Amino acid sequence: MMKKLILILLLMSTTLFAQVDGGITIPYIDFPMKEGKGVYSTRGKCNMCHSWGYTLNQGLQSKKFWYEKVMKMIIVFKAPIKTQEDIDTVVNYLFENYGNGKLQ
Amino acid sequence: MERRDFFKKAIVVAGSAAVGTSTLDAGETGNPIDNRKVSDVAFPEKRPLITYSDRPPLLETPREVFTSALTPNDLFFVRWHMPMIPKYINPNTFTISINGLVEKEIKVSLKELKTQFKQVELTAVLQCGGNSRTAFKPTAGGIQWGVGAMGCARWKGVRLKDVLKKAGLKKEAAWIGFNGEDKAVYSETANFVRELNLEHLNDNIILAYEMNGEDLPYLNGYPLRLVIPGVYSDSWIKMISNITATKEKQKLHFMEKAYRIPDNECECETPDNLVKKTKPIEEMNVNSIIGYPVTGSKVRNASDLIVRGVAFDGGHGIKKVQISIDGGEMWEDALLNDGSEGKYAYRAFTYAFKPKNSGKLTIMCKATNEKGEEQPFAKDIKWNHGGYKYNGIDKITVEVV
Repeated sequence: MMKKLILILLLMSTTLFAQVDGGITIPYIDFPMKEGKGVYSTRGKCNMCHSWGYTLNQGLQSKKFWYEKVMKMIIVFKAPIKTQEDIDTVVNYLFENYGNGKLQ
Repeated sequence: MERRDFFKKAIVVAGSAAVGTSTLDAGETGNPIDNRKVSDVAFPEKRPLITYSDRPPLLETPREVFTSALTPNDLFFVRWHMPMIPKYINPNTFTISINGLVEKEIKVSLKELKTQFKQVELTAVLQCGGNSRTAFKPTAGGIQWGVGAMGCARWKGVRLKDVLKKAGLKKEAAWIGFNGEDKAVYSETANFVRELNLEHLNDNIILAYEMNGEDLPYLNGYPLRLVIPGVYSDSWIKMISNITATKEKQKLHFMEKAYRIPDNECECETPDNLVKKTKPIEEMNVNSIIGYPVTGSKVRNASDLIVRGVAFDGGHGIKKVQISIDGGEMWEDALLNDGSEGKYAYRAFTYAFKPKNSGKLTIMCKATNEKGEEQPFAKDIKWNHGGYKYNGIDKITVEVV
């Protein structure tokens, strides 16, 4: 009886302590990608690790910026973009659809 | 059925935080983008906020919130670096490890933190170094924040110093590295680790478990986060679970490359001539934001209008906030609150006046700190590649009817 009571009290204190009982669920938000050459490949390579919102909310950027971002993802964050062809596809898609028209 | 409705909604929402438009000339800093709407999808423990990403969560507080000295937890901005965030933390088993160059490696539970150390409370502003980045032209790299990547809360926890003392730092320890529970998708990716030089350790740096009298919200780092008053939020590690003392500075991307500005007098550079020598962003510069009215508000001619906002700096304290309603020619002092929350907190301000003419009216605010530093006009702020440390004089435009 006493044991039971202690257990109940323990459980109660846990619930009171944590505001979210049993954890949280982060909602899925769709950030649609612009249609364009390379969209399929880019979706696979970028969105595996983070939302498209993270990419698109960098603003419209130069080709150099997007190239450096992709290289950072590969070198620093170990993104599995292996070939030069894949790098070009992603950079070109980003620049054509989220570019500011400037190469530098 | 419900699910489908949700996705339909989500698509509409996604556009809301899309790339903003600006008509400013290239190269001249303007005011940050100010017309973004909150999402209609709320994140856990939050009200709907301006939503830039769900993975990792990137949420901005709307301007209207900056009328009060404390930012409510459910309106507080959110910025994570890594997309894999634990969705459940058991407060009864959670511990933080202190290791590296210490006499005794220890693990401290939440309960021990709350019972075996001196409990301290302080109020401090948490602001992303890239807050208001949209002011910079050309577009600087990073999330295109408006004015709301900031908030002010009353934090409760224990001094970092006391916890380190319990483990006993070895003489040769010079750097303290902090790591949280968020992870990248690939295990090869380095964690978001930040470091503090021991010379910068002080009594105000705390491991906080409470925010505005409640447990930290998950998205603000439940159950424990680092609070470093006066400096930008890049080192305020969330869900902090590991502290390592080292002799040498570790080689870390997030220390060597990210959150740095040109190490020159103007802290500025140009896109075609980036400065090689850089320094960390660190201390926050003086800033103020008008929370009411906002651009697009309609106010009655000759009515009693009370402008409200908040001002802060890196801990020297706010000396005055001034308001201009003539484009920045004449400035009049706003009333400041009593400042009882301390020098690291927002000072809420008010300014009452009667608009005299109908039509568009621009209201500006400018803060000056105790050091005499004042906010520059937006156009006088020079560019840096990361779009950091914007603190231009704030401005909103209302319609007097």
